Amino acid sequence: MGLAAAKNKRKLGTDPNNTRWSRNTDTFGQKLLRAQGWEPGQYLGVQNAPHAEWHTKANTTHIQVTLKDDNLGLGAKRNNGNECTGLDAFQLLLGRLNGKSEDVLEAEKQAIEEAKIGRYLASKIGTIRFVKGGWLVGDQLTETPVEETEKPLETAATEFSTSSDEEAPDPVSKKSKKRKAGDTTQEDNEKSKRRKTDEVSSGNEGVLSRHKKKTSRKHRKEIEDNESQREKEATSASEDEVDTAVLNHKNAKKERKEKRARGREEKKEKKEKRRREKTSSGSGPETGESKREKKRRKDRDLTSAGEDLTEASPPVGSGASTPIGSGYSTPVLGPARFLSRQRFIAQKRMAFADTAALNQIFMIKS
Amino acid sequence: MMADKGIKRSSMDNESSSDPKRAKTDAKYNKYLAHYDDNDAQNGNGFSSPLDQLQRHKTTAEQAAKCEDSDLNPWTGQPHSQQYFNILQTRRNLPVCQQRKEFLEMYHKTQILVFVGETGSGKTTQIPQYVLYDELPHQTGKLIACTQPRRVAAMSVAQRVANELDVELGQEVGYSIRFENKTGPKTMLKYMTDGQLLRESMHDHEMSRYSTIILDEAHERTLATDILMALLKQIAERRKDLKIIVMSATLDAQKFQTYFFGAPLLAVPGRTHPVEIFYTPEPERDYVEAAVRTVLQIHATEPEGDVLLFLTGEEEIEDACRRINLEVDDMIQESDAGPMRVYPLYGTLPPAQQQRIFDKAPEPLRKGGRPGRKCIVATNIAETSLTIDGIVYVVDPGFSKQKIYNPRSRVESLLVSPISKASAQQRAGRAGRTRPGKCFRLYTEKAFKKELIEQTYPEILRSNLANTVLELKKLGVEDLVHFDLMDPPAPETMMRALEELNYLACLDDDGELTELGSRASEFPLDPALAVMLISSPEFYCSNEILSITSLLSVPSIWVRPNNARKRADEMKQQFAHPDGDHLTLLNAYHAFKGAEQSGADVKQWCHEHFLSPRHLMSADNVRAQLKRIMETHDIELISTPFQDKNYYTNIRRALLAGFFMQIAMRESSNSKVYKTVKDDQLVMIHPSTVITSPYDWVVYNEFVLTTKQYVRTVTNIRPEWLLEIAPVYYDLEAFDKGEIKSALTRITDKIRRRQAMKGGA
Repeated sequence: MGLAAAKNKRKLGTDPNNTRWSRNTDTFGQKLLRAQGWEPGQYLGVQNAPHAEWHTKANTTHIQVTLKDDNLGLGAKRNNGNECTGLDAFQLLLGRLNGKSEDVLEAEKQAIEEAKIGRYLASKIGTIRFVKGGWLVGDQLTETPVEETEKPLETAATEFSTSSDEEAPDPVSKKSKKRKAGDTTQEDNEKSKRRKTDEVSSGNEGVLSRHKKKTSRKHRKEIEDNESQREKEATSASEDEVDTAVLNHKNAKKERKEKRARGREEKKEKKEKRRREKTSSGSGPETGESKREKKRRKDRDLTSAGEDLTEASPPVGSGASTPIGSGYSTPVLGPARFLSRQRFIAQKRMAFADTAALNQIFMIKS
Repeated sequence: MMADKGIKRSSMDNESSSDPKRAKTDAKYNKYLAHYDDNDAQNGNGFSSPLDQLQRHKTTAEQAAKCEDSDLNPWTGQPHSQQYFNILQTRRNLPVCQQRKEFLEMYHKTQILVFVGETGSGKTTQIPQYVLYDELPHQTGKLIACTQPRRVAAMSVAQRVANELDVELGQEVGYSIRFENKTGPKTMLKYMTDGQLLRESMHDHEMSRYSTIILDEAHERTLATDILMALLKQIAERRKDLKIIVMSATLDAQKFQTYFFGAPLLAVPGRTHPVEIFYTPEPERDYVEAAVRTVLQIHATEPEGDVLLFLTGEEEIEDACRRINLEVDDMIQESDAGPMRVYPLYGTLPPAQQQRIFDKAPEPLRKGGRPGRKCIVATNIAETSLTIDGIVYVVDPGFSKQKIYNPRSRVESLLVSPISKASAQQRAGRAGRTRPGKCFRLYTEKAFKKELIEQTYPEILRSNLANTVLELKKLGVEDLVHFDLMDPPAPETMMRALEELNYLACLDDDGELTELGSRASEFPLDPALAVMLISSPEFYCSNEILSITSLLSVPSIWVRPNNARKRADEMKQQFAHPDGDHLTLLNAYHAFKGAEQSGADVKQWCHEHFLSPRHLMSADNVRAQLKRIMETHDIELISTPFQDKNYYTNIRRALLAGFFMQIAMRESSNSKVYKTVKDDQLVMIHPSTVITSPYDWVVYNEFVLTTKQYVRTVTNIRPEWLLEIAPVYYDLEAFDKGEIKSALTRITDKIRRRQAMKGGA
């Protein structure tokens, strides 16, 4: 901010808190209260009342609040640490002096570091999103695009420690659940018309898995209270994953036994993938996705078909609480009313980058 | 109004008998309740009711259910309508209905009961009816009261319950709110605002008209509810036959239990779904911005379900609505996003517009397209008081506008401050009403744990208590120090209130209520306004002061839309009086009445003149009510002819009779800064004023704290008047040294010289 900030000059009186009044013991009110047996420093009300344990400082003096004249969010500081980097180290030092344990300090340091990198990335380069394309288990799923699965370069994963742990095994659990449902129905009806059942089962499976997810989440919610909710969720999610991983192995065996035609499976796989992406784009809580991505996506939508939209939307962890927004929940983009303007600026910039177009504009003949 | 008079008569009977036991027996001769005397022979009405077989305080849930199921209405003898049975079906499905038996058992056993039920459990409508079937008021002639913090709630709930009992509103079931009483001689169950019950108890210290008092929404801890709780706690010891139910929506009822001698607790689970909570990983730089983005993101990526966004005030809400609308339009143009309708919701919004939040979400733009949704941008009135179905997503920036009172500078102001944890949970709970929902909190989890206080401070800790102290005195509370409030206010706040009342001559030097104070407490107004009104006949302008008082008791009548500020200001200038805003208000009101009498279309006229017809009409209504009170207290209504050259001067002087403690003096010539008398706060005149010339002395109606300290609604006065009208407050001996003292001394000298000259001549 510094010199560029708007000046907020305010004249204060000689006694803005009017302490002269509060120190004056001769006021009518004070005399009357004393006459009725009140002593300075006491609460009003019944002495030693059983409910007095809930009394707070607000019962002794008026409630003091800081005047808020900006739109700064809760917990945000005006100088939010990105100007004075040295303070972080100082903070850590103070923490050490105050006898915080090394683990805590290390974790704090990590968090600061991560935030810093995230901030740098977002402001300098912008974040790049990748689309989840499936998971590589043994040699079973080689059909799925390997390049993408190998790179779960989720910004979200780096930014929230809780979600990053479960981000990796997530697709497995999800996929296996689905395949299981699909396979069992498949087995039953194997000898009947294959095509049709395939479609039906895959229809069921979506509903099933979604239902499962919902109920399990509900169940979890009911047990936990808000405080420990997130950690617990993480653990229970991972438990789920273990279960499903076991199941997945069995599945794999079954599948091998079945020896079904490769072509058909491929088809099914594709269908599944598309559906999964559709549901995830619909139901998932927003993972770290900055406005820029959304904009990019929108731009792309203009040119490509509607299917693209569903594919481009980020995949989501299974019911785990992923906080909204990216590392900065207000990405460095300026206010929303500039969003559309931003788009024009981006278009202009692109035009500038395109030398051929520029040459045309300036009528330079190459 | 008939009923009002009835109250007064009955109360006078009771006041004469200080012995509570006698008061009880007196009730039989109470004229107001006289119709109940022939109630024993109620078959004179021509019907036998299944209620006749019930025994008071010994009924069971089955018996009551049987009565409800009967073809004839047990209370009126009329056959039940089909609608009644339809409603009965839904009533039986409410969560609270499962516990009717348990409730009755507990109710029989104890005098005070704490009842906890989340919003939507049906407690507000059902519990009073359960009590009704147990108390059998037609046998005792005593009423059941159920208090609500808000007038709208009292009215709408009473209507609902009247439908549920298949009776006419105002007959067996009625309501009573400030300035409106819809009860009759048959009324057994009465919904009322907590303030209204408090007013009633001023004349009936034992609340002898009631057999049961239900304090609903006690968790909101309004000023009136807090005082009622303290009073009822005392009355409960004197009147063992009085039953009290304290109903709260939050689970921390322990405090209530401890307060009420360890009263038993009955909890009914609400019908809520789990809500997933999301925090931001980092604090927000701009919470409005972040809120708008979050709403858009929800709209773009989340499945069907309506959004509720909490913001702090009217301006912020309108701004956010505009921005969301713009962005959604954009989004629809560029992608296949569904339509979204955005509704603002705040207290000063006209009721018709408030109703719109209950509209259905819009249909998808085309068949099979993405679903439409609605987004409600609300202040914290949507936190507990309103139930909006269909909300699945809640966006909570963590702020609300809260009233704060500083007894040192005597400023009561609405400031944006962080909410409490309890209120954050309430907000989140709004998302799980119809199905599992999500709550997006625009702050970090750490901020939630560290920066938010546990509970919202009750209103009693946040208000000027002058009015409350006056009420307490009228209620016969002598010992203010040891009055057993759940949350005793800060001593300084109490002192300030006492001091103000003393200067207003409502309390004498021993702290006893004076004649003036007693009269002032009859008015549902701040003491300063009431005193001004009572003393206005001395200045020959009580009609005008009555108008000004009414205009000051309603929200601002001036409309200043963002897109027509200049025209609005020009129109206001038409009514402007060079001496100040109070007189300008009066001019506008007179013009309004003139337009009304000339038969013009009032709404159109108001629209043209940038005045709020709604607030003007409610001012008109308030004026009529106050006028009635003045008439009953023999306060003369007089005016001088408009041509009188002292017409406006009289009014300005009369203002001082109540507001002599709200005076500011200009710091120095050619300065814009004023200094308040005695408190020495530096203030500026609010830009909304019509005053153009820099007067040295002004009286102001309110002190506004924003980035600067402002005084609003200001009128020019002369310092001589101060010395004349409020000599006690302006006793120069007691003044501290300073510019104000020296200015006043100069004026005293001048007056003395002038008088000496007159005497000499």
